[in-house]
Amino acid sequence: MTTPIIEMRGIMKRFGAVQALNNVNFRLMPGEILGLVGDNSAGKSTLMKVMTGAYQRDAGEVLVNGEETHFRSPHESRDRGIEMIYQDFALCGNMDVGQNIFLGRWPKRFGLFVDRPKMYEEARQVLGRLKVDVNSVFQKVESLSGGRQQSVAIARAISFEPKVIIFDEPTANLSVMATERLLETMAELKRQGVAQVIISHRLTDIFEVGDRIMVLKRGENVGDRYIAHTSEKEVLELIVSGTPDTALTADEALRQAA
Amino acid sequence: MAIAATAGRPETPRSPQHLPMQLVGGWEAGLLAFMALLYLVGVLLNPTFFGSTDAISAVLRDTARYGVMAVGMTFVIVNRDLDLSVGSTLGLTAVAFSIFFSPTHYGLDAVPAALLCLGLGLAIGLVNGVLVAILRVPPFIATLTMLFIGRGLVLGLTGGKTIGFDLKAQGYWLFAMGETNALGFNNQILIFLVFAVVGALVLAKTRVGYETYAVGGNEQAAQYAGIATKAVRIRGFMISSFCAAVAGLMNVTQDKGVTSQYGQGAELIVIAAVIVGGAAIAGGRGRVIGACLGAALVVLIDKVLREGIPVTRTITVGGVEMEVQALAQLPPGAVPAFLGLILLAAVLIEPWVVRGNVFGRLKAWLTGSEPPPSLDPGGAAIVGVKTFGTASDARSVGARGLRAFLHRRDAAAIVLVIALWLVGMWLRPDFWGSLNNSFNLLLAFSEVALLSLGLTYVIANGDIDLSVGSVLALSGAVAAYVMKEMGGDPLLAISLALAAGALCGAVNGWLTTRFNLPSFVATLGMFYIARGLAAWIVSGRQLSGFPERFNLIGRNLYEVLSYFGMPPQTGLWLEVTRAVSVQTLFLLLVAIVAGIVLGATPFGQKVYATGGNERAASYAGIDTKRVRFLSLVFSGLCAAAAGVIYVAFYRSFNPSAGQLRELDAIASVIIGGGSIFGGYGTIIGSLAGAAVITLIRSLLSLQVILANGASFVLPQHWMNVFIGLILLIAVIGDIWFRQNNVFGEWRRRRQLAAAEKLRLHQGSKGA
Repeated sequence: MTTPIIEMRGIMKRFGAVQALNNVNFRLMPGEILGLVGDNSAGKSTLMKVMTGAYQRDAGEVLVNGEETHFRSPHESRDRGIEMIYQDFALCGNMDVGQNIFLGRWPKRFGLFVDRPKMYEEARQVLGRLKVDVNSVFQKVESLSGGRQQSVAIARAISFEPKVIIFDEPTANLSVMATERLLETMAELKRQGVAQVIISHRLTDIFEVGDRIMVLKRGENVGDRYIAHTSEKEVLELIVSGTPDTALTADEALRQAA
Repeated sequence: MAIAATAGRPETPRSPQHLPMQLVGGWEAGLLAFMALLYLVGVLLNPTFFGSTDAISAVLRDTARYGVMAVGMTFVIVNRDLDLSVGSTLGLTAVAFSIFFSPTHYGLDAVPAALLCLGLGLAIGLVNGVLVAILRVPPFIATLTMLFIGRGLVLGLTGGKTIGFDLKAQGYWLFAMGETNALGFNNQILIFLVFAVVGALVLAKTRVGYETYAVGGNEQAAQYAGIATKAVRIRGFMISSFCAAVAGLMNVTQDKGVTSQYGQGAELIVIAAVIVGGAAIAGGRGRVIGACLGAALVVLIDKVLREGIPVTRTITVGGVEMEVQALAQLPPGAVPAFLGLILLAAVLIEPWVVRGNVFGRLKAWLTGSEPPPSLDPGGAAIVGVKTFGTASDARSVGARGLRAFLHRRDAAAIVLVIALWLVGMWLRPDFWGSLNNSFNLLLAFSEVALLSLGLTYVIANGDIDLSVGSVLALSGAVAAYVMKEMGGDPLLAISLALAAGALCGAVNGWLTTRFNLPSFVATLGMFYIARGLAAWIVSGRQLSGFPERFNLIGRNLYEVLSYFGMPPQTGLWLEVTRAVSVQTLFLLLVAIVAGIVLGATPFGQKVYATGGNERAASYAGIDTKRVRFLSLVFSGLCAAAAGVIYVAFYRSFNPSAGQLRELDAIASVIIGGGSIFGGYGTIIGSLAGAAVITLIRSLLSLQVILANGASFVLPQHWMNVFIGLILLIAVIGDIWFRQNNVFGEWRRRRQLAAAEKLRLHQGSKGA
């Protein structure tokens, strides 16, 4: 069996009196698309923030490619190839597409000035790799529609050559058309070997592109299933009435079903 | 996460405390204790004044006026707004009353005049409210501009002179308002009590008050809940201005006359009072009782600072030593330095002491028990969402030549510069194009432009620096003092002046980035502190007589070359050296460097990214706090350089140097394409904006020769009114035309409507 690209074991996280994550296990294989679902306050975002180092875990371990890690900030996990795309995309609306793709690491010329030609050329290449339709790298991001803003955010993420991309509620602000395009982009990324985690409430989207789905409830694992061997109904049942007893791994669930 | 929360011990709801208990137990008790202590200090320092009962009644009388204003201001601050215009509203209503009432002007009866004034107060509040709530101008910009417009109107209406009506006032009962009554205290105190009680009840017990707290706590939530948030905010401003108008009437009935100085700096005392009284500058918190006690405390501090300590000084006159009784007093203008400090300290109390639970932590540390849970510090990924509307300038993509130019954010400023210059040429062809005038224009331009360079960075960052004019004064004072009183050489003076400016900028930056104060509050504090310090350093006097070597900084090239013994003789070179001065060259140098850094280096990109979306920038690995800090320091340095040049140019220093300059500079940046919400602004644009301001100022002071040979000059007093209006127009224009593109939207809708009509038309034909 291949090593998971990310594995988390026994993650615990408290906020004051609230136990946000209780002994949570998590596994992501290379090139896999995993849907992470659960009710509000189930701990989905918290788990991902623990993974990227935005939050510090109280207990448990995070392994990247089998190696134990202790990320202190999202910048450190980015260096290990983990990218997160936020719900609001975290872009600067007043700057253009090229400037946003290279936000904070604009290429330099003579060690002092921003190398604009190089920046826009590389931005074009990244967008080309994504096969999305952003008209011009010179366009200001705030004038783009939500879907295109997201394309810019994804382009920015893949320009880091990541191995893992986490999408936080990617379809929440998108139109139907834009959602379709996003799912195509995800499939394209999968072909390029990028593992993806989708945090979402919309099961339909996950069932369209996902390989596996993981359910959290009140900060605990309550289920893990292969998309090919489950149904939206079963997942919904897990979300609503799952218990730690139902929290089999996807393989166990498959064996039990068989 | 609700399940885990219930796992903790069940919390019994505490029974609501009764009012006297709240008074004793809360923040207000501390204020009372502190006040008693302060009064004792006053008695110790100056027993002749503070030991008398007169003092108590004088303090109470002055508290009454500020207290009435503080009651109104509480509504505004709880709404998460700010009203900087109360001082000038007080002045303006007092002047308006005097003009209506005085036999030398309109000679109305007292009551109609008073009613007109109250109406004027409400109208000012309405203007403030509409600007802020409907036109979406940030409150500090809108009301700061109203402050200056109001001051300008006061000066313009009084012509800087005093209006008195002692005799006529005797026949009217209204003037009893400002008098001491039969019970031995001033009637103003009664008025204050009425306002305090009514205000407290309205804010704490009525729907009006609840709506105010809701809007201040979360405007969006309040709006979704069906509260007319815009009306609530406008109402807050109207209450505040109405209270200021009442305070103006109290003042004018007490003095039976008015000067153009009325209410100057009152906004500082009032805002400090409300914040000291426990209100949060971030809105949603604050009580009227606290604000009233805060007013008493701040007025007391003000009195203690102003009264001074009686001392015996030995002076030598003509070789004979004499002992004289004197008061060791702060020089005029220095008191605001302390009040500004109090304001900043008070603003920090709420977020750092109250919410950070410092006392609980201290108690836990002392008793060795477990400290209360700390607030989540909030990293890059946790801060809330910041989004913008769509802007108009995306249309520029693909445009070429003139069209591309016109889509630039700074295009309007550049076109305006040319247009205004041509207007000047048209009005006075004999004078406008002359060398003399060009020289003066360039001079006036360099001061504004220098300030606007630093502000471009600050505003592009999404911050604001209201202190540039005061920092100019402080650094000028430092330079003047070092040379005049300490005998330092010019180089030392310049270094110290620049260091003072950088220090002010660093304090601004430190307060905004380290303590997370909104930059307008931090720099508003500095606005008063720096000017107060400047007045203190020079003891409120004018200093002059500096080494000529220093004054060369403010001269033109011709004079500089002459000083070094090689004056140019003839031709174009002579003309050029006469028109270009050292400061213009200095400005050019700084502008080029600042322009390149902002436009072409990663640091400049970081500035724009920080202003555009600080969270995104921070997530992308940009140290946004450092960027904001450095920008504020740069702004302080630019202001300091302007201060040095000011002293050199006038060969003297006056504590009022740089007054109103912050308005000019902010207007320059906004006219030049900056956005008050951050993310935009270029150096070229700001320079063009500064040129616009300079041209407008000199056009307004131009002596126009009419067709019939008579000449006309706009009185200087009215200038501030115009500059204030221009700033407002610039900000509103930026918000509505550049950012929200109302024209484009209108055109789009019209096209849509036309298409619809055509379709209907064709449809009916087809049928």
